[in-house]
Amino acid sequence: MTHELLNGLSSDEAEQVLKLGTRLIVPSGAELFRLGDHADRLFLTERGRIRLTLPMQVRGREEDIFVEERSPGQTVGWSALIPPYRFTLTATAPLLEAVVIALPREALREYLAANPAAGYKIALNLAVVIGHRLQMFQTMWLREMQRTVEVRSA
Amino acid sequence: MEMLLMGMCVAVFGMGIAAVAFGAATRSETSDSAVQPALSLVKADAAAHFFSDRVAAPPTVPPAPTWAVPIEVLLLQIENHVRMEQAAAESFVAYPTHALLHSKTSSPFVN
Repeated sequence: MTHELLNGLSSDEAEQVLKLGTRLIVPSGAELFRLGDHADRLFLTERGRIRLTLPMQVRGREEDIFVEERSPGQTVGWSALIPPYRFTLTATAPLLEAVVIALPREALREYLAANPAAGYKIALNLAVVIGHRLQMFQTMWLREMQRTVEVRSA
Repeated sequence: MEMLLMGMCVAVFGMGIAAVAFGAATRSETSDSAVQPALSLVKADAAAHFFSDRVAAPPTVPPAPTWAVPIEVLLLQIENHVRMEQAAAESFVAYPTHALLHSKTSSPFVN
């Protein structure tokens, strides 16, 4: 299993990072975290999928609206590394159970501080993950705005 | 002299009748409002409609709207729309061009 967060690390370094974590099984339909929860762990998806949602008012009631899905190897919950350390999405395992590795923030920080070369690579990988999310949502936002402008100009 | 006395008697008698009639009218109004408190409620309600004597109909609960599309179907449409938009965004991010950014979606949710 190759994790996007550990790209470029030696197998020893990757092994050390993975040893910091705990393997968690998320049953089908169960929540890994909820929007607003304190984010003190970062998750690496091992098996299954993690569905990320945001609440939206639909016909007067709140519904969890699909935002994106994370596959094995991908990172979930990077809010754990970014102040104010609160999750901004809700994560659940959809139809099948998922397995994730939960990396505690403090343990990861200590490792990164003690191993700056590995820390640099992980920080770059994290920037790729965050940057990709930003580019995706920037594009989706603009496309929605474009449609709104077209509707209002019609 | 006799005429003057007769005129005064008629005036006093007339004032007496007026006083009795006034007293009866005032008494009947107060007793009506005491017996029928609902009437004053209607009057207050009617007063809210300026220049209108029509009594407002009691408020009715609007019927629950009936939707052509069940909410489960709507949520599925939203999810499919998001997935299609993600695919479009992925294409743009991989190879950014104006054409890809503004490519039309075939998502039934917005068409």
